[in-house]
Amino acid sequence: MEVDLNSYNTNVKNTWCPGCGNYNIHMALKKALVDLEKHPSEVVLSFDIGCNGNGGDKIEGFRVKGLHGRAIPFAVGCHLANRKMTVIADIGDGGCLHEGIDHLIHAIRSNYDITLLIHNNENFALTTGQITSTTKKGKDMYGFPNGKTEGNINIGELVLSLNPSFYAKGYSNDPIQLTEIIKSGVKHKGFSVIEIIQMCPTYNPENSAEFLNSKISKVEVTDDISLARKRVVDNKKTYTGVIYQNKKIKDYYSLLKNRKDKDTELVNEVKTYGVSNILNDLD
Amino acid sequence: MKERVSIKFGGQSGQGINSLGKFVSKALKKLGYHTFAYREYPSIIRGGYASYQIDFSPSDVLSPTKKTNILVCIAQEALEKYLFTVKKNGVIFHSVKDFKLNDNAKEYIEKNKIKIVYIDTLAISEQQKAPKIMGNMVILGSIWKVLGLDIKELVKVVLQYFAQKEGIDLEAEKRCLLAGYNLDEIKDDILKGLPKAKDKKWGNSLVITGNQAIALGAISAGCRAYYAYPMTPATSILEVLGSTYEKTGILVKQAESEITAVQMVMGSMYMGARAFTATSGGGFDLMTESISCSSMTEIPLVIVLGQRAGPGTGVPTWTGSSDLNVALYSGHGEFPRCVISASDACDSYTLIQDAFNISETYQIPVILLTEKHIAESIFNLKSLPKPKEIKRGLVKNGKKRYEYTKSGISPRWIPKEGTTTYLTNSDEHNQLGVSSEDETDIVNMSEKRMRKLISLKNHLPEPKYYGPKNPTVVFVGMGSCKNAVIDAMKQSKKRIGFLHYQYIYPLRAEKIIQFAKEKVKIVLIENNQSNGLGKLIKSESNFYISNTINKFDGRPFFVDDILEYLKQWK
Repeated sequence: MEVDLNSYNTNVKNTWCPGCGNYNIHMALKKALVDLEKHPSEVVLSFDIGCNGNGGDKIEGFRVKGLHGRAIPFAVGCHLANRKMTVIADIGDGGCLHEGIDHLIHAIRSNYDITLLIHNNENFALTTGQITSTTKKGKDMYGFPNGKTEGNINIGELVLSLNPSFYAKGYSNDPIQLTEIIKSGVKHKGFSVIEIIQMCPTYNPENSAEFLNSKISKVEVTDDISLARKRVVDNKKTYTGVIYQNKKIKDYYSLLKNRKDKDTELVNEVKTYGVSNILNDLD
Repeated sequence: MKERVSIKFGGQSGQGINSLGKFVSKALKKLGYHTFAYREYPSIIRGGYASYQIDFSPSDVLSPTKKTNILVCIAQEALEKYLFTVKKNGVIFHSVKDFKLNDNAKEYIEKNKIKIVYIDTLAISEQQKAPKIMGNMVILGSIWKVLGLDIKELVKVVLQYFAQKEGIDLEAEKRCLLAGYNLDEIKDDILKGLPKAKDKKWGNSLVITGNQAIALGAISAGCRAYYAYPMTPATSILEVLGSTYEKTGILVKQAESEITAVQMVMGSMYMGARAFTATSGGGFDLMTESISCSSMTEIPLVIVLGQRAGPGTGVPTWTGSSDLNVALYSGHGEFPRCVISASDACDSYTLIQDAFNISETYQIPVILLTEKHIAESIFNLKSLPKPKEIKRGLVKNGKKRYEYTKSGISPRWIPKEGTTTYLTNSDEHNQLGVSSEDETDIVNMSEKRMRKLISLKNHLPEPKYYGPKNPTVVFVGMGSCKNAVIDAMKQSKKRIGFLHYQYIYPLRAEKIIQFAKEKVKIVLIENNQSNGLGKLIKSESNFYISNTINKFDGRPFFVDDILEYLKQWK
């Protein structure tokens, strides 16, 4: 099927702030899917709630806007049922690191073959700027004029501590690089974690383009985990690109013994089954 | 002649009483008896007291008795606890060396003329040059003698079982069984009047638990994925589906939490596969936000809720039926759902199939209630009923995913290449799924969803009546209490009936209203303290049932409970 950027556009009005990073993230996502020749009907997008989730009607595809923090397990359920679909979970730093952090951790260890986009704008923006675990310390936030008491979570450090198969970091002000990163993530056979530094001019103006541009350094992909770990903890620089990829780790489904010789997907197998062959085992 | 006989095996958790129970059940079945097995066990791995009770009869047995004819104990604590559950003129076999009766026990034993037989299983197994654990076989042989049954059948069952295990001395097992059978002090007239099996119709019947039946029902209904987090008494569904996964090809996933499990189910159901999850009260509580989301997004969802006793972590390995309220009222907002309730292995098998059909056709969450007493008790069925026809309510392709319709059911099609894409939205939305805060959209969409409840109600069956015409007492209930009442019908001279609710919500009330008009005593029976079903019946039919029999001690209703209750009416 023919596909171009228009195939992914909808006629729903945008509701993000001017300068919001979501515009570029959506553009990069659409471009990546077009480059990969994916028709919208081959794509499942599992959205969290929040500003990112409000993008659910601004892109074509089979889109699901579900519960806060649960974009990952829902996406996994979709993927396991039909691997012919390209499944992408789309979530903010709040949903990913707060409400649903267990899902992130277990999805990395399970290595499901889906892609995760984490929109990291360092706050809960849709609910007008509450603290998350990526908010800068000392920054005046909703209800906390003196900033947060708790420490931070470094997404890269967390992900790389879990023996992942793919971790990348993109930047909403660099949609060209982000497009390439998303393409690599979708092509990667395993759980591809893509953290995106997202501009949030309303609630996180401190992360200005000037400030970020001065820190960013693009890197080539490596399979050296200690090098990758060094990069993500570097305070002076922010490395972008595919930070780490390990192609040797097999994805969850391909390790399932009972699915090895099946050429159908679970969705193709719904019919009445006899159980007499199982009854003997139970006796 | 006795209508039914019961044997209880008691011991510590981990001592092998389940195996003993299974051997006896199987051999009894081969000899033509109908059996029902009931397990009690503590929430610990070693120690405490546990039991495996078998009730059997030439005719159907569906529930346990409170007191047994024979008690077999291989550990002191179990003996001390269960001694008081032996019937008048009953027999106790035990292998607890130097066991002394306290005053209470002595009085009970004397008053009820109970015989106590000590068997030195250790010494006998040693004589037979067998390992200590085979002492269990000695005691098994002794019971068989007392029952006056053919020992060959038991030997066959035991050897068949151990032949599958490696490194077991089969000859030694046999020697121990026979040594127990031939003990001088055991006479086959201790227990008089064992009912004779009339025919061999039960010889090839099935012996399965409620949970095994749920797993089998799910397999036959074309369920292709099972996602769950372990929690008693739902865990054994995972065991059945996991241990048969190579044959079935079902994807079995132990998720990191109940929330994950239920979300994965929704993901797979959304894609057009059939999937489900099972849990108990605490895990179900964690799933409730997803139940609300399932109804809003109109993604089908099937959850099995295996009830156990108590709030909090409660009494994890004991039974009850106190979670109807969460099944009915959990989840925020107003939305349609369906609640159905299993009562035995047979309907566990069919109702899980119904659950899938209802959930897919009406695009709503369906909660199948079961209880520890159903989930883990062992029922005897001649065979499984025919599988139900799969109904999915799918269309090939469509335009408006949330289209307004008379029935409230909008077209649902499987997301796949070439079909119309759509937005599935947990936010309130318009017919296309796009988020909407417009007041007309909110009202129209809320009404559309709720219309499904009316459509569903018209398709659900009325409760089923068991019992004679013109009964004097009719019990009304759901779940396993049905079995105790039906067993009591056979033993009582009163004209008892039972009105069995399997389809709980949306509730059909015509039949109960009809009974309410007749001159019949109506009794609500619930395995809980606060009558969840009674309250639902009141709210749906305006009929308040004032007579109630409740039990909430972690134990199921025994036949004796019903017979005792009926004594108040001449």
